[in-house]
Amino acid sequence: MSPCDFNRRQFLKYTGAATIAATLSMQDVAQAASVTPLPLGTPILVIVTLYGGNDGLNTVVPYLDPAYLSNRPDMSLDASEVIPLSDSLALNGTMTGFASLWTANKLAIVLGTSYPNPNLSHFSSMAIWQSGSPIEEISSGWIGRYLDSLPRDPFRAIGVGSTLTPLLAGDHRVGSMVPISGLQVPNGSLATQLELLAVSSTQDSELIADAAGSVGDLFSLSSTLTPVLQNAPPTSATPLAQQLDVVANMITANVPTRVYSVSLSGFDTHADELSQQNVLVGQVSDAITAFLTQVGTTARANDVVVMVYSEFGRRVEANGGEGTDHGTSAPVFVAGNRVAGGFYGEQPSLTNLVQGDLAVVVDFRDVYASMLEDVLGADADKILNNWSTKLDLITPVS
Amino acid sequence: MTAASDRLELSRLVHRFGLGPKPGEYLQLLAGGIPQARAKILARRSDPGLNALVTPPFPTMGQAPSDPTASAAYWKEVYDQSVSVAMWWMDRMVLADYPFVERMTWFWHGHWATSISKVTYALPMKIQNDTLRTHALGNFKDMSRAMVRDGALIFWLDGEENVAYSPNENLGREFMELFTLGVGNYSQSDVHQAALGFTGYNVDQTSGAVTFDPKLHDNDKVSVLGKRQVFDAVTLSDWIVSRPENATFIARRLWFRFISSSIEPPASLSKVFENRDISPLINSIARNPAMRRPQYSQAKSPVEWFVSACRALRVTPSKLPSSGAVSWYLDSMGQFPFNPPSVGGWPYDEAWLTAAATQYRINLAYYLVQNGHIDALTSVPKSKMVQAAADWLGVAQWSVRTERSLNQAVSDSARLALLALNAPEYLVNA
Repeated sequence: MSPCDFNRRQFLKYTGAATIAATLSMQDVAQAASVTPLPLGTPILVIVTLYGGNDGLNTVVPYLDPAYLSNRPDMSLDASEVIPLSDSLALNGTMTGFASLWTANKLAIVLGTSYPNPNLSHFSSMAIWQSGSPIEEISSGWIGRYLDSLPRDPFRAIGVGSTLTPLLAGDHRVGSMVPISGLQVPNGSLATQLELLAVSSTQDSELIADAAGSVGDLFSLSSTLTPVLQNAPPTSATPLAQQLDVVANMITANVPTRVYSVSLSGFDTHADELSQQNVLVGQVSDAITAFLTQVGTTARANDVVVMVYSEFGRRVEANGGEGTDHGTSAPVFVAGNRVAGGFYGEQPSLTNLVQGDLAVVVDFRDVYASMLEDVLGADADKILNNWSTKLDLITPVS
Repeated sequence: MTAASDRLELSRLVHRFGLGPKPGEYLQLLAGGIPQARAKILARRSDPGLNALVTPPFPTMGQAPSDPTASAAYWKEVYDQSVSVAMWWMDRMVLADYPFVERMTWFWHGHWATSISKVTYALPMKIQNDTLRTHALGNFKDMSRAMVRDGALIFWLDGEENVAYSPNENLGREFMELFTLGVGNYSQSDVHQAALGFTGYNVDQTSGAVTFDPKLHDNDKVSVLGKRQVFDAVTLSDWIVSRPENATFIARRLWFRFISSSIEPPASLSKVFENRDISPLINSIARNPAMRRPQYSQAKSPVEWFVSACRALRVTPSKLPSSGAVSWYLDSMGQFPFNPPSVGGWPYDEAWLTAAATQYRINLAYYLVQNGHIDALTSVPKSKMVQAAADWLGVAQWSVRTERSLNQAVSDSARLALLALNAPEYLVNA
């Protein structure tokens, strides 16, 4: 799995967004970015997507549950391989960074999170999580709809990578993508001529307008981001850490961005799971902890909230290849200085299964509503189609 | 004076059913009229363009040696082969005079999306590619039979881990969801029982050779989509492909990638696929009235853009100074042959139109123009160069915006070529 793998036909339709982008000149946006840096104290949401279906049971481990051990004879983690958080649950032993966040009360673990009638397809389930709409198939991402509710600004939501992440695609607006290496543009007469290609035309179809807009966005984003990213190229070794290095640099440079999206692939562990998944969750924990430590030394320490999710957890029982097949609910992590640490929801039973899989305890929209209202200050009811409940994951600013 | 709708339809034919025109081809086809052009583009005949192309050897690598020096050389060879198999295929796409079969093979690669990131070795990917080419315009039932016994596909979806006493659902699920039926046309029980039907196939990872071990196969009756019997991969594939949902699903997938990702196909489209013959289906799509209607535009994927640019510039990908540069640029843009991001294949349309991809595309276009031939532009007077660029690249019509940009570059034909290759009307097939 990786970003943009969707079988929902309409998901990426964001009519008009690029047409609007093309009307902003490079000077306009560069000026807007330098004149309106993100004010200190403005909350920032960093969304971490784990593609492939992360095994929740080997991440937040019911390490003493006999059903856990008996269902996974060759791939359970024993007490020496975990970091206990309570008398029943422990973190995968590779997640030492998350353990320190937990001790500092900066890590919320939302147990048993999914949505009604979980879908076991990577593509359908990721489309549901990214659209934020489990019941009705809709064509926009939940952050895209947050962008729809606000004036057009190519900086407001930024994904790290080259291809558009569907969660950033709204009906009328779309987030921007920035590669790890930053954006470089030509100068001189070539720049002038390329910028002419970005001018919107009444002759443009929607897609051609998007093509023109992507050329224009390159110039507008690059003028602000290139100095930021060139000053501090990513130094970390793992892909997620590199992406978060880029995000940390943009945050500390006061780029006016409210939402960042990063991702890690490889969680579809149908075979030989232990050797792969331990490494991956360790990378997640290390990368996010290092990121929070880095921004924690700046004036933005209290502004940043990180949310980590995957499209589903995995089956309780191991398969023959010492892996696990697609499952349902799993923990969602929310981390940051303003996060009220602790467990939310409860661990689903490993024996009292629903159609052979873990029960759903928390609806992910309760987490999204908290991110929208308490981090982004947005109207969750509207963005989540009249969803009216939320978890109190974020400590109000006193 | 040629009708604008003819230019549009021909632009779609050459870019979507071919892989972009070679120099002069667009005007030549236009002069002969659409029916003749369509017949040529959809023709399958021996291809003189491919005569000179030598297929590099992809020897079986065998097990990695334990000696560190030998091991380093071994893995370098594995990596080099993974690049050269992709360059070999892109050479075929670029050199073909009748690229329809390569275009269809490219579609099927995205459909049965298998990635060398896990398969690792070039040889199994090359074998799968040959299988897809053999069946590209044949019968889907035969293609599916071959694919459920394809080493690269089985290994990619953990088929060798799928054994009777402990089934692995990966292949069974994706086979129904992504390859044959579409999501919603089967139950979780069907997935589980289909997995049992697919048990017992072993793969030699380095050669792609598949063997069947009856001891690992589930020899009990299983129930899949209402039919209860002992299945093996072939009988199971046949049964699932015979379902009516398969006709609808495959017809929609082709429509989606050749005509529009946002406008549904006519309900009648799947009727021509009743016998699972691919050729009448794709021919019917190429003749659909949608081909003449303006709202059916499609963005080119990075490989489609690269191949069409190479065809126009008479560049052979493997002969460029650096294969490493080509693979790096295409990877950065998000698409390299044999390396789809997941079993769902590559994204489409708007997903490719990002600022990030734009910067790599500008640089790659610059590299290609430097190493290519632009006599289609240098041979015409400045006053006709902008229109000549549209004819050369098979663009139906430049917008006023693009004309304004290109007109600034008529004194520098290489610059004009670079701009034209990055024009919105070339990135998106109108």
